[in-house]
Amino acid sequence: MPCYPDFDHVGEEIRPAGAPPVTPNPAGSTFSMTSEAEHLLRLRKWLREELAGHGVSKQEQPNLLLAVGELCANSIQHAYEGKGGQPIKVSVRSSDDSLVIEVEDFGKPFNSEGYEAPNLEAMPESGYGIFLVKTIADSLSFDVARERGTRWTMVKYRPGRGPAAAPGPAGKS
Amino acid sequence: MHMDIDVTQSSGVAVVAPRGDLDMATVPDVRRALTGLLDRGQSRLLIDLDGVSYIDSSGMGALIAAMKQARAAGGDVRLCALQEDVRAIFEMTRVIQAMSIHPTRQEALASWR
Repeated sequence: MPCYPDFDHVGEEIRPAGAPPVTPNPAGSTFSMTSEAEHLLRLRKWLREELAGHGVSKQEQPNLLLAVGELCANSIQHAYEGKGGQPIKVSVRSSDDSLVIEVEDFGKPFNSEGYEAPNLEAMPESGYGIFLVKTIADSLSFDVARERGTRWTMVKYRPGRGPAAAPGPAGKS
Repeated sequence: MHMDIDVTQSSGVAVVAPRGDLDMATVPDVRRALTGLLDRGQSRLLIDLDGVSYIDSSGMGALIAAMKQARAAGGDVRLCALQEDVRAIFEMTRVIQAMSIHPTRQEALASWR
């Protein structure tokens, strides 16, 4: 799977030793929209219900809504360059350990070589999208080895279940 | 998709209060409102975000752009009444360190006096 070197974790292959495996429930749900920004509100409504159904707490939901919104906005703006009517799919599946959210478009593939993380000191007016997704997700990978487009996969471990969770009976609060 | 935006004047400060989700769909309305005020020479703007429960990076970008334009004109764009979920994006991007952000409209207005 192609990766951008600045991404902390890319896919399951480089999951830190001892981290719980991602074993998503194959029976996930999918939301389909076209590439108009007007659909983002509907996406968030769907995702809010979906996340609740997967046992994601209300406190954790806003950041995930933001991350998925940013990936879809990225597809609208960059993959489809603002052209409407193009398909975007969002899917959610989960296991006891993690939540896996995929965002897929069929436009211009993500160009990792052209990507620059925002210089936060300079406070740019744009370019925060992928940075925010990386900040929110525990793992972010993308697949451009397809006929068209990009499939983003973000993993969010359940509280206390990720690689950072301390092993042993005491655990971490 | 359109966003309701209230604009009122208070002691030389234009108080801009959008209502709803501030995302890629509604950001053109906010950008237009802010640019309109700045272009008319109103360089002190207070954005009251009490009615905004979601903001994405495009929405935040519009506020940053307005702030830069206002500061270049000797004024400022300040924010108040951020809901907790809205505040998170300003923290993650460290924009919170550079913008003047206040708990309430009254406190924000007082910061100009």
